[in-house]
Amino acid sequence: MRPEDAIDRLQLDEREVRRRRDYFQVTDEDLARLASHRDLATRHNDEVIEALYQFILGHPESRAFFPDAATVARVKQLQRRYFLGLFQGRCDPAYAEDRVRVGATHETIRMPARLYMGAYAVYLELIRAMFERELEPAAARAAYASAQRLVAFDMALAMDTYVAAAEDTIVRHQAAVRELSTPVIRVFDRILLLPLVGTIDTARAQQVMETLLTRVAEEQARVVIIDISGVPVVDTKVAEHMIMTTNAVRLLGAKTVVAGISPVVAKTIVQLGISLTALETRGRLQDAITLALELTGRAPAGRQA
Amino acid sequence: MRQTGQVPILRVAGVLLVAIQVDLGDTVATALQEDVLEAIARTGSTGLLIDVTGLEMVDSFVARVLVDTGRMARLMGTETVIVGLRPEVAGTLVRMGFDVSEVQAALDIDEGLERLGCKVVRRGAD
Repeated sequence: MRPEDAIDRLQLDEREVRRRRDYFQVTDEDLARLASHRDLATRHNDEVIEALYQFILGHPESRAFFPDAATVARVKQLQRRYFLGLFQGRCDPAYAEDRVRVGATHETIRMPARLYMGAYAVYLELIRAMFERELEPAAARAAYASAQRLVAFDMALAMDTYVAAAEDTIVRHQAAVRELSTPVIRVFDRILLLPLVGTIDTARAQQVMETLLTRVAEEQARVVIIDISGVPVVDTKVAEHMIMTTNAVRLLGAKTVVAGISPVVAKTIVQLGISLTALETRGRLQDAITLALELTGRAPAGRQA
Repeated sequence: MRQTGQVPILRVAGVLLVAIQVDLGDTVATALQEDVLEAIARTGSTGLLIDVTGLEMVDSFVARVLVDTGRMARLMGTETVIVGLRPEVAGTLVRMGFDVSEVQAALDIDEGLERLGCKVVRRGAD
């Protein structure tokens, strides 16, 4: 996911950043405290980042994401900037966006979240060691507590970036599936066939209905056959959708025949207590087509005495 | 103020034909219902055809008035067929949970007339 898209999706305005800060208890004192250690951090910047990458590159799985020396040099440079970012004394939308950018970069190279989060744990440990070496125990504890809160804030943004990217993928796939999911076929003059394959949820049912109604009007159809043999589970909801679609189709002056009712589906429908008496149903598609031909006043082909 | 007479009610082949060409306001819809029932009483027609091809939008009130008109007509011995509902409108009515089980519908006026037992000569094969 592009960093700009991630930033857009997380809607990191003044209020949202405030809300997140409140949750992670990142106070102004925390920021001021960290800012007061900026010189210390600057001095130890190289050393912390080196140690972090020693860990990352020492691990075969995470090393795979940094194929060459140039990449390593580039990400180290980014990490140094990221590290100093903790000590700038601010945590505003610009800061949050910067953090999302880092998260999006890791997501883009498809680094698994667990490796990313694991590195964070090491990172925190390095920060703690740095404070303990350089500060009085009480000051070190306070400084580390502040850093912990701010890093937790950062981690949440990184996680949300990953989640947003995953959601985006799902939405894209859903759109693709939707396009492929409503093939309305004209089998005879004024007879349409809609073979349904896959799970029918409310969103899809709605889309199916819209597409179907438009086609019925366009084709001046008199009969619509909905073949549900490819629908794995027919429950109360699916039945409800079919009844609704049938009703809407009827308002356009056409009839609906539901085909592909398997023994299992027939059993489920009756056991669930669903009444499908309002629908014309047939087991085989062939029989549904025969019925459709009869309904349109045509003798079905191949019927012999 | 009564708004009757705004929608023409024609008599075709023993059937009353109401072609609604403008979006119906509540008052016009109610007035139309009265007009239709009076026309049925006057003419003794056994069929009523309501053509809504001209309607872009049918809100729940107008839909109810139309469906109710059909039921009232049936009480008077007249069968009602609605023709020309747009796909969007049909979808909306059903999604709103509107009970459409009593509504008879047809694709176009020709089919509506056929449904009402009129003989329609069609050009072309069928």
